[in-house]
Amino acid sequence: MVFLSAPRWLRSRLTDRFWRVQEVLKYARHFRGRKNRCYKLAVRSVRRAFVKSTKARREKKRFLRALWITRIEAASLEHGLRYPTFISNLHKSQVELNRKMLADLAIYEPKTFKSLAALAQRRGQEGFLAALGDGKEPAGIFSRIVHHH
Amino acid sequence: VAKTSLSSPPWPEVKLPDPAEEAKHHAEVVRKVNEMIAAGQYGRLFAVVHFASKQWKITSEDLIMMDNVLEAECGDRIRMEKVLLVGADDFTLIGRPLLGKELVRVEATVIEKTESWPKINMRFWRRHNYQRKRITMNPQVVLRINTIEIFPCLS
Repeated sequence: MVFLSAPRWLRSRLTDRFWRVQEVLKYARHFRGRKNRCYKLAVRSVRRAFVKSTKARREKKRFLRALWITRIEAASLEHGLRYPTFISNLHKSQVELNRKMLADLAIYEPKTFKSLAALAQRRGQEGFLAALGDGKEPAGIFSRIVHHH
Repeated sequence: VAKTSLSSPPWPEVKLPDPAEEAKHHAEVVRKVNEMIAAGQYGRLFAVVHFASKQWKITSEDLIMMDNVLEAECGDRIRMEKVLLVGADDFTLIGRPLLGKELVRVEATVIEKTESWPKINMRFWRRHNYQRKRITMNPQVVLRINTIEIFPCLS
């Protein structure tokens, strides 16, 4: 005999709703207000939190680089150099430390940073004197006023 | 010439020290630093190393974590060759841009190779029914810096 009404009693019912809801609420437990308890509000907040963290991961790199530059600027001003002078002279002396390292050295190794600042200053002076030249005029050019008669 | 506003250039006078005396002074400093290194009169050394496309400021007994794979097994000793700077309390050796391999030796051991925590990448456009979620777990390698050694071969 085939019982035809038995399959009608077996519906497919959701049995793990609790765990599906917990998957979202576990990321919202440290939020403020009802969005750490109520699923409907939590879904929205958790989604925004994920999107914000994704975008922030890209901006963190820009933000940290600006922070390092500020710190290097402050440290080099303590030694009497401006930041663009310092960085350009270091590059010209083939020292390839990046801004993160320079900022860390400025905080934790002040003597090393002072020697780097001295190196940059000396390289700047040498470059300046090389640009000034001998003080003579270039050959073939005369600068006295020519009178035409 | 009388001192007027245009008698001398407006930039400050810059004089470099005498090259012969400078060379003597440099040789003296190099000899002293060589002696200090040979005698071992330095405390803890720190080094700036270029590794995994990043620069790290490391000392001995340091832990470092890279966000990618390394083709070395756990427990392998590794020598880091691209050293940019080595310093102690009294002297620093600045490389232009790298220091020689016979001058510095930085050794490290691979401690563990794991995956990172599950990072969530989500994109969402409001009112457009568009959301994508991706979970990324990068492989990570933890290294312990064993020693940093310098040898007195300056010139």
